[in-house]
Amino acid sequence: MASSLVALIGLSLFLGCGCWLFFLWAVQKGEFHDIERPKHRMMDDEERPEDLDKGKD
Amino acid sequence: MLVEERAGDATLSFCCQGCHGAYLLISGAGLTEFYRRREWQETGLILQAFRGSFHDSHLSRFVYPAAGGSGIDIIIDGIRCASCVWLNEKVIGRVPGVLDARVNYATGRARVLFDPAETSPAAIFSQIDRIGYSPRPYTESAAREVGRREQKDLLTRFGTAVFLTMQLMAYAFALYAGYFHGIDPQMKDYLQLFSLMVTTPVVFYCGWPFLAGAWRGIVNGSPNMELLIAIGALSSYGYSVYATFTGGEVYYETAAMIVTLILTGRLLENAAKRRASGGIERLMELCPGQAQRFSGETLETVEPSELRPGDLILVTPGERFPVDGRITEGNSDVDESAATGEPLPLYKKKGDKVIAGSSNLTGAIRVLCEREAADSFIARVARLVEEAQSRRAPIQGLADRISAYFVPAVLTLALGTFCWHYAQGKPLGVSLMISLAVVVIACPCALGLATPTAILAGTGAAASAGVIFKGGDILERLSRVTVAVFDKTGTLTSGRPMLVDIKGVKGVPCREVLALAASVERGSLHPIARAIREYADANGIVYRVGTELVTLAGGGVTGRVAGESVALGSVSFMQRIGVTGMPDALESPDGAMVVCVARRGHYCGTLILKDRMREDAPGLVSYFSRAGLATLLLSGDRQESASKAALSAGIGEGVGELSPVGKAQRIEHLRSGGETVLMVGDGINDAPALSAADVGCAVAGGTDIAMETSDLVLAKPDLERLAMAHRMARRTMAVVRQNLAWAFIYNVIGIPLAMTGRLTPIYAAAAMALSSVCVAVNSLRLMRRRHG
Repeated sequence: MASSLVALIGLSLFLGCGCWLFFLWAVQKGEFHDIERPKHRMMDDEERPEDLDKGKD
Repeated sequence: MLVEERAGDATLSFCCQGCHGAYLLISGAGLTEFYRRREWQETGLILQAFRGSFHDSHLSRFVYPAAGGSGIDIIIDGIRCASCVWLNEKVIGRVPGVLDARVNYATGRARVLFDPAETSPAAIFSQIDRIGYSPRPYTESAAREVGRREQKDLLTRFGTAVFLTMQLMAYAFALYAGYFHGIDPQMKDYLQLFSLMVTTPVVFYCGWPFLAGAWRGIVNGSPNMELLIAIGALSSYGYSVYATFTGGEVYYETAAMIVTLILTGRLLENAAKRRASGGIERLMELCPGQAQRFSGETLETVEPSELRPGDLILVTPGERFPVDGRITEGNSDVDESAATGEPLPLYKKKGDKVIAGSSNLTGAIRVLCEREAADSFIARVARLVEEAQSRRAPIQGLADRISAYFVPAVLTLALGTFCWHYAQGKPLGVSLMISLAVVVIACPCALGLATPTAILAGTGAAASAGVIFKGGDILERLSRVTVAVFDKTGTLTSGRPMLVDIKGVKGVPCREVLALAASVERGSLHPIARAIREYADANGIVYRVGTELVTLAGGGVTGRVAGESVALGSVSFMQRIGVTGMPDALESPDGAMVVCVARRGHYCGTLILKDRMREDAPGLVSYFSRAGLATLLLSGDRQESASKAALSAGIGEGVGELSPVGKAQRIEHLRSGGETVLMVGDGINDAPALSAADVGCAVAGGTDIAMETSDLVLAKPDLERLAMAHRMARRTMAVVRQNLAWAFIYNVIGIPLAMTGRLTPIYAAAAMALSSVCVAVNSLRLMRRRHG
């Protein structure tokens, strides 16, 4: 009983640590620096694919 | 329209060759989408505001090495909506050699990553310049860099605390259940050990800012809120660690929760404050980055800091003046709204003074420098703001003041309890535990939560109603304000003239006078032109488009409407161009502007414009008077009009003819007399006063600088909101007091129990949960009802 408890808690901590490291990475990358622009960026994606192709050359 | 192009079967019309050129560039790049996205109604920067010469030798100083190439930060002037950001990102991104371009919507700054072998900063700058925005290199100041690191640090601590506290609560729930229904002792040990494992980093890593703050409080001999938090967290942590190894109940969740919740409050407060920090930088951005100096008869481009008194410079239309000086040649209309708050451009001729930071609108002029750039008007205002901000000591918050008494009292009680039990012959360990229990129960979450929750709920409710508080302490200060000081132009008045009356000579109806005026003012950005057009549109007057329109410096426009020559301008302008039939005395109602209209060289009518008092201004003033505040009006305008405006708004006293320094000094004077001052303003000339006041309030639609130097921003130019903000601040502080009272009631019951050593875990847990819930729910009441 007690050993399965330790194993399960250990597992949950391990998985949680993965999320936590992901969060640390995001903060370091400056992911939360500008929280205004991304909302608008979403609106840009209606651009047609041929426009994108034109831009690459 | 003036420029036309056939595109398929549609005719595209452009207001000028410049827009046509921009269209060709944009459509050539396949970005015609832009025209569907643009939403603004203004015409953007003034023509020729940009000079298209960028030199790599100058720009290379701002380039820094970055992953995969070089980077440069660019401030892009003229960004006003999401589509500008979109266009700039696309256009910069298509310069060959540019690897990545991101434009920050909030700050209008671009971060461009490029391959130095393929392109140069100058190429990127000229591309931005070509589409009509004005790029300038940007260097991040050291202060900003520090601010950003702190924000990252806080975010990391907060995220860690939330993650670990979530884990901890799961163990705590199992332990609660075990307390009521019984638990296997080995299981309990494991759970307690895991709890210890996750709580330790929360207290010592996430809570480090509070521990450090508490230590500073001890060193300075002034017990503060942070000390209370630290004592609460450390004592329950210490107690629990002891209980973990000797048997007993643990209170790890108390320690972790205090830290996590206080961090949440800090994070939200910081986000609001960060926006405020750019005030001085913005101010300095008003000065142009370069100046054109005469050396003999040739021009050389120099940094404004190299200009010395006695130098002669050329200022072209659209440029801002780099230094204070005097015009030696040429004449022009100058927009001095930055310096004086005066919304109308002034006509300046040889011998007149010009002020750094104001902009030259119509003619190229030669200016003799009179002061160095470091001593110019804008630099002086920036220094004043800086001084006022650094001088303003933070007001000791209510919670801090209570802590100053509470902390020593609790520590004394705990020490007394320990001595008493030890003297009774109890073992050292037991006596210590009992006295620690006193500290734990005396510093519950509720006390730490009392202020932050109320202030968060208060600022949240205010923000949803369009009032933005930059920081929680502002609410507290606003609730204690005793004097409300107002600026006149742009704050109490609408800041732009409105057409109030039209007079036509015999045989010419008013409608016709208005139609003629609107025709020649078509396309002009001048505030008077805008007022005339607005009035004409609002009254459904159809007017033709004037042709051959010429704006003449000194307040006048001439043009042709339906083949007839039409002139519009001030009385002196009319006399200058030789208009006949002018009435002898044109009455000018006080404070109003008179604009004459002439057709075929004959006077035919007059328009009267006035800067009107905002409709909600008297209501706000009477609210403040009812609330027991003194009111005062400070204006840069003439004494006479300041007194008149004060009278019509119901303000106690109006003081005019004040410089920005004068306004700030008045406020300092009031403050040194023991008053708590609220300043409401909108202009750059109000910035020092806004920073000097206990609470500076800017109205939306004013200048960015006013908004950034103030503590409180009304998101819509609606003064009623300020009254609402004041009511909200008072209500919030009332809730804070109630919260503190709740927390104390639980303490009053809990402390004696703890002192006698009879504090059972179930009672402690219940008291803590109950008092926290009471406090949180009480605070949430602030959000429920909409006030005002």
